[in-house]
Amino acid sequence: MKKLESNLKNMAVVLTVISVVAAGLLAWVNGVTKTAIDRINEQTVADGIKSVTIGDSDVEFTVAAPQEKNGFIFHKVSDAAGNTIGTAVESTDHNGFGGDLKVMVGFGPEGEILGYKVLQHSETPGLGAQADDWFRQASTDQAAQSGFASFLLGAPAKAGNHNIIGMNPGDDMLTVSKDGGEVDAITASTITSKAFLRAVNAAYKELFGYTAADGVSGASSQN
Amino acid sequence: MNCFKTLVNGIVKENPTFVLLLGMCPTLATTSSALNGMGMGVATMFVLICSNVFISLLKNVIPDGVRIPCYIVVIASFVTILQMLMQAYVPSLYQTLGIFIPLIVVNCIILGRAEAFAAKNNVLQSLCDGIGIGLGFTIALTLLGMVRELLGKGAFFGHQVLPESMNMLVFVLAPGAFITLGLLIALVNSIKNRKAE
Amino acid sequence: MAYFLIFISAIFVNNIVLSQFLGICPFLGVSKKVSTAAGMGIAVTFVLTVAVIVTYALQHWVLDPLGLGYLQTILFILVIAGLVQMLETILKKVSPSLYQALGIFLPLITTNCCILGVSILVANGTYNAQGLEPTLLVGVLYAFSTAIGFALALIIFAGIRQQLATVRIPKGMQGMAIALITAGLLAMAFMGFSGVDHGIATLAGI
Repeated sequence: MKKLESNLKNMAVVLTVISVVAAGLLAWVNGVTKTAIDRINEQTVADGIKSVTIGDSDVEFTVAAPQEKNGFIFHKVSDAAGNTIGTAVESTDHNGFGGDLKVMVGFGPEGEILGYKVLQHSETPGLGAQADDWFRQASTDQAAQSGFASFLLGAPAKAGNHNIIGMNPGDDMLTVSKDGGEVDAITASTITSKAFLRAVNAAYKELFGYTAADGVSGASSQN
Repeated sequence: MNCFKTLVNGIVKENPTFVLLLGMCPTLATTSSALNGMGMGVATMFVLICSNVFISLLKNVIPDGVRIPCYIVVIASFVTILQMLMQAYVPSLYQTLGIFIPLIVVNCIILGRAEAFAAKNNVLQSLCDGIGIGLGFTIALTLLGMVRELLGKGAFFGHQVLPESMNMLVFVLAPGAFITLGLLIALVNSIKNRKAE
Repeated sequence: MAYFLIFISAIFVNNIVLSQFLGICPFLGVSKKVSTAAGMGIAVTFVLTVAVIVTYALQHWVLDPLGLGYLQTILFILVIAGLVQMLETILKKVSPSLYQALGIFLPLITTNCCILGVSILVANGTYNAQGLEPTLLVGVLYAFSTAIGFALALIIFAGIRQQLATVRIPKGMQGMAIALITAGLLAMAFMGFSGVDHGIATLAGI
């Protein structure tokens, strides 16, 4: 087959046909994947609610219809008997490293943190993204530096804490240790850590009206 | 046999990252861990294979004057299909790679292969070339990700192998990307020089 | 004040090339001489600002109302390619001297991923707007600042590479290897700016 000539008619026809076919194909794929994408998004929220409130246990639970207020979304979780287990709050901080940081935090009835999940972030891949695990682990430095590593490096075990599970933003200073708080920031990701803790505190404040970090952050902003 | 040659050529002799030095943006941006690098490599390979095959099929129907816009439409369609499929079936990888998935469109490797290879060769050859170059790119990205992850986070494909205090964080950050790639290219160059002598 | 913050943050703190990894190809490709680097920088600034306005308008007044969000990638890249072509033609007629200076860079810009990347970020509103609503004005400011950051990185890098050309370099390191390591050191220098934006934000009380 000979190559088509480059006259105006041929060019216009070919480009139009290719574009139309491409658009049609995309519309079809979009139709096919849309339901899957919607289902996954719903599933992510549903899984998130479960994991930040009741965790891995097999308790029967019901989730009330989500309520939106001041940009926060609340999901109230109750057990089979109707007692409140906790509330999952979707909270967004706009000053993460590269923009929005969206987290879901589960609070118990007393305000203690049951769990959290990072829903969306625009942090450095692999670095700020560590927030996913960082704030639920005890400091790994102690574990890692016992035995061979501490022998090799001779470094003293660093006693730090970055596990926020079980803490209560009403009583505990949920800010990074640099700011006088009780939580160690992710190594080299102070901005991400601060944004994360701000989102958690904001969610708590929306739910209970105050946080322990209030007084201090007010004072520091006057500096 | 011939196809095998094309394939090896794409992986070794014309390796897009280490030899042709194309597609640097995703190479540097997405290799903070081996798995991310691999994901990006496979995603690019998918688009490259599809676009190579289709452009080779359509090469006689497309007049030279609108060649580039037509190629771009074909490539962009496959990128969008990939974007939707990833969003639906591997949402976590989709989130990690973020903006770099739609940016596969402007990856010079793909348009470059369309223009330099697929527009001149038959479908089977173009398919082999797509697989070869795609594999070359994937291997390079995985290797780069592996080195950066090991030095920066002390992990190997996500498994912690070195203690936290031995991590050189700079390798996960932007400067580490440039420096690691620079050193790997230097390594490839000196191997080539030694062979030449 | 938040506008100023966007400006500073996009140029220094989150430099598009050295910390976001967009536009690496021209960064490595046309950085052998300071004069060509400056030309490329100006051309990118010009095209990026115009492209962001056009793509934002398309996204918000065509794609979103019609529910055709999935055509974003394909439409944007075609629009950018067309736009570059158009700018080339207009420049040739209106200002031949400017065309002489920028003309050779324009075709290269279509495949510069920082144009498509920033257009998508602005159209989707997924960039750091420092707490402002991501409107067209904010988006254009962000795009313009980003392009200035690109030009700055490119010109500094070209300056270093010009010096580098006079130095003896081990055989294996010649060419792209040493250029990449230099870029790494430059990126490290730019990391020194991290936190500056938050400092300014605290000072201004945002």
